[in-house]
Amino acid sequence: MVARETNPNFMNGVPELLILRLLQQEEMYGYEIVQAIRSRTDAVIAVGEGVVYPVLHGLERDGALTSRRKTVNGRSRIYYSVTPVGSHRLADLSQAWTNLAAAIQTMLAGGQHGEALQ
Amino acid sequence: MAKPFNELRERLLRAGVAPRHVRRYLAELTDHLADLRAEEERAGRSRADAESAALTRLGRMDDLFKAMVEQRQFQSWCFRAPWATYCVAPIFLLAGAYFVACFILWSGWKVFMPGMNTPFVRLDGLDGFAIFYFGVGRLIYFGAPIVIAWGIGVIAARQRSREVWPTIGLVLIALIGCTTRVHASRSAFPGGVEHVSMGFGLGPSAQGSLLYALVILSLTVLPYLIWRLQKAHSLSA
Repeated sequence: MVARETNPNFMNGVPELLILRLLQQEEMYGYEIVQAIRSRTDAVIAVGEGVVYPVLHGLERDGALTSRRKTVNGRSRIYYSVTPVGSHRLADLSQAWTNLAAAIQTMLAGGQHGEALQ
Repeated sequence: MAKPFNELRERLLRAGVAPRHVRRYLAELTDHLADLRAEEERAGRSRADAESAALTRLGRMDDLFKAMVEQRQFQSWCFRAPWATYCVAPIFLLAGAYFVACFILWSGWKVFMPGMNTPFVRLDGLDGFAIFYFGVGRLIYFGAPIVIAWGIGVIAARQRSREVWPTIGLVLIALIGCTTRVHASRSAFPGGVEHVSMGFGLGPSAQGSLLYALVILSLTVLPYLIWRLQKAHSLSA
């Protein structure tokens, strides 16, 4: 069995950001979340799919997500959705990530970070 | 529970993750694995290949383990503060049980035997409810150490805790259980007030106290040890 290559540590803060963004649109269960991440990032972000659950549980414990059990097609699933706390966290993470991405992009282009924010 | 996760469950529990978090994590992983397997089968793979591909996609056991253990908030109190879980909390519980037992003795003495100098008499002359009432008190007094020590064993077994702290807790509970003595006295004036108090000591029969300690330990430690041996045997098989 050949292990699939994954992004190391799934990049700090990125799983939270992606999960919160996805769940802000609609409630989903774990498998759906992972498939959505894969399809919407064109599989650029590849993770061991099971590691999404500790992130989900951590967010739920922090009050950013809420979960409910729902039976669909005879199978019981745990659906997650974003709380108001989660929405605030998403806004903060999005802002931080946007700044970081702009700074890195500017660095790669040879400019200075301040220029990218203007 | 799917077989691939048995080892992961043991590792997570031994790493201190609380059993309820482990249960939920593995339940969701099992569901996820079933979804992945179904997806692979729909893509035309055989059942065996689909299972193998699904496990690969789910992630390596080491990664699944690390992802959960790194979230410190999922650690149980048995792991964070074993001294509190196995020693302090049981002693407080035992103190609470003894308080209830003493209250039953004191209130029963006041209500059912108002003229007596001590409640430690034969109960033959009392009505059925009074006998039942005092019986509940005795049950709590003698049963509490056994039930609490048994609870220590169950929690330690569920959490796969190391033996040190549960053993200390069990010995402490057995020692307290066998050395606790209840004293009852009435103030030395007509219609005096009833007093019930507790103290520690071996009492008139040291052998009896030690025998009681052995009863508590054997009723609680033996099931725990048998469980550990069975678990060790099943894991090595």
